[in-house]
Parts: sequence; C-alpha cells; structure tokens
Amino acid sequence: MNIRTPIGQAAFLILFSCIIGFGSNLVRGDAIPWIAPELEIADSIAQETESNDPVLLAISLNQAKNLFDGGILFVDARDDAYYTAGHIQGALKNAFLMELIFSIEAIQEKNAPLVVYCGDPGCGDSEDLAYDLQDSGFNKLYVFKGGWLEWSKAEYPSESDE
Amino acid sequence: MTRYFKVQIVFFFRLIIGIIFIYASWDKIAHPAAFATAIGNYHAVPFGLENMMAMVLPWLELLVGVCLIAGIMVDGAAIMCIVMNIVFIFAISQALARGISIECGCFSVSTETGDNIGLETILRDIAYLVMSFVILYRNEKRLEFFPKPV
Repeated sequence: MNIRTPIGQAAFLILFSCIIGFGSNLVRGDAIPWIAPELEIADSIAQETESNDPVLLAISLNQAKNLFDGGILFVDARDDAYYTAGHIQGALKNAFLMELIFSIEAIQEKNAPLVVYCGDPGCGDSEDLAYDLQDSGFNKLYVFKGGWLEWSKAEYPSESDE
Repeated sequence: MTRYFKVQIVFFFRLIIGIIFIYASWDKIAHPAAFATAIGNYHAVPFGLENMMAMVLPWLELLVGVCLIAGIMVDGAAIMCIVMNIVFIFAISQALARGISIECGCFSVSTETGDNIGLETILRDIAYLVMSFVILYRNEKRLEFFPKPV
C-alpha cells in the first residue's frame, strides 16, 4: 500500500478506521455484536397474539397456517409479477409503503396481528417490510420465513391474478 | 474545470467538510448500538452487516475530517468523502423511493431530532459531494503536510 498515491491513502484510511472501530468495540463497555442478530423465531405465538405487547417474530409454516385459519391478514412482500403469478389466498400486494399502510388500515387497526412473507427462507424482503411496518406504527408483526415456497409446496390455499 | 479553483476556496471547503464530518462522527462513536439501528432502518445493508458498519463508519468520518483540516492525506480523504456521500445519497434515495419515512441518523442517532430523510437531505449530500470533488481536483496543494507536495 503506497500512501503517497490517492488510492493508497484512501485504503489506509479504511484500514485504520477498521482497526480503531473493531478494536474499540472489543474494549468498550457498550460493545455491540459483530453481526446484527436475526429475528427471533417464535416457539409459540398464542400468548403474543392475545396480549397487547408489541410483537415482531419469525414464524414457521404450521404457525403461519394456524394464523391463516384464524383469519389473520397476510401481506406479500414480493414484487408485483410474483404476486400476480401466485400468492397466499387473500394476501395484500406490496405496493408503495404508504399505499400498503392505507390498505391495511382500511381492513384492521395497527395493533391487530399481521403476517408478512416473501419468496423463500433466503429472501429478506419480508423482514425488511416488517421493520418498515413496525416503523409506521404496526406492532403485532409475524414474519413467515418459509414464504411462498413452503406455502405452495404444502398446497395450502392460494390464488393468482392471472 | 476545477483546476483553477482558488487556494482559499479549497481550504475553506476542506475546513467545512472536515468540521461537518468530525461533528457527524461524534454522536455515532458515542452510541454504536443506536447508530447500528439507524443504519438498519434504511434496510440497505444485507446479512446483519449494519453492526460492523456502525463500528467502522464513524471512525472513518472522524479520520477523514481530521485529515482534511490538518492537511494530511487530503487526496485520500477527499476520495473517501466522495465515496461516502455517494453511498449516503444512494441509501437515502432508495429509502425515499420505497416510501420509508425514517430519521436520517446523519448527525445524531437520537430518534427525537426530527431530522427525517427527504429531498433536502439528498441536496445537502450533493453539496458535500461537489465540495469534495473541488478538493480532490484542486490545482495547488497549499497547507498540506503529508505527503509533501512536489
């Protein structure tokens, strides 16, 4: 690394920042984990659903099906084309966030439970949307991690707009 | 076109950007967890890497600010200013495009500053970006101590 060249200097600044940043995190009292923790997976959701406490939890296929059978609203976090090709029966489309918020509020209150899902366990859109909705005041959110992949494999109620 | 900018203007821009970056780093260094949350709110960083960004980015801002003011590695500091401002503009734009209303987290990580992202935040970063380019493409290297101008 030649710190007489502009790029070398930039690389040096990044490297030095990493050393101080990571090093100080090792010794400070209010250290944070290296990787932000993933969403906690719920063991049981009965208690959370009935209480008034804020909830943001990941749920399994069976838990999602139980909530579906209980008439809980689902929101599809995937792009339009995927939603049109097939989605969980009755799920709302992920429009522009404000539009989606209006659509949900037309159906239920902000403290009513809501399930968000996307394509498969690897996609992060459902979690992102859940955090966006949480920032917008919704406080009982479940992220169905298995998403459309697990739901369609299980042949649970679905529909398409095609 | 920036080759003929006057030395005084370049030094003034170095001071302005330097002070802004040092000021911006202060609260973030003091509150890494809150800053990690602020980064996470943009939903633009994958795999939980917002925590690592929260550890490094404030120190990078501080170093860049000190280098610009002290006249040390000004070229490298200007490049990092450009890169950081482009990243900030991208992060804010994608959040706005998705209709997310969040605190900027630019100068303070407190959630009660009311400094929400918006068009003015992007314009502010564009102004910093322009100043950084002026610094990088300066014609004369005055009041710089390392590397010694030839």
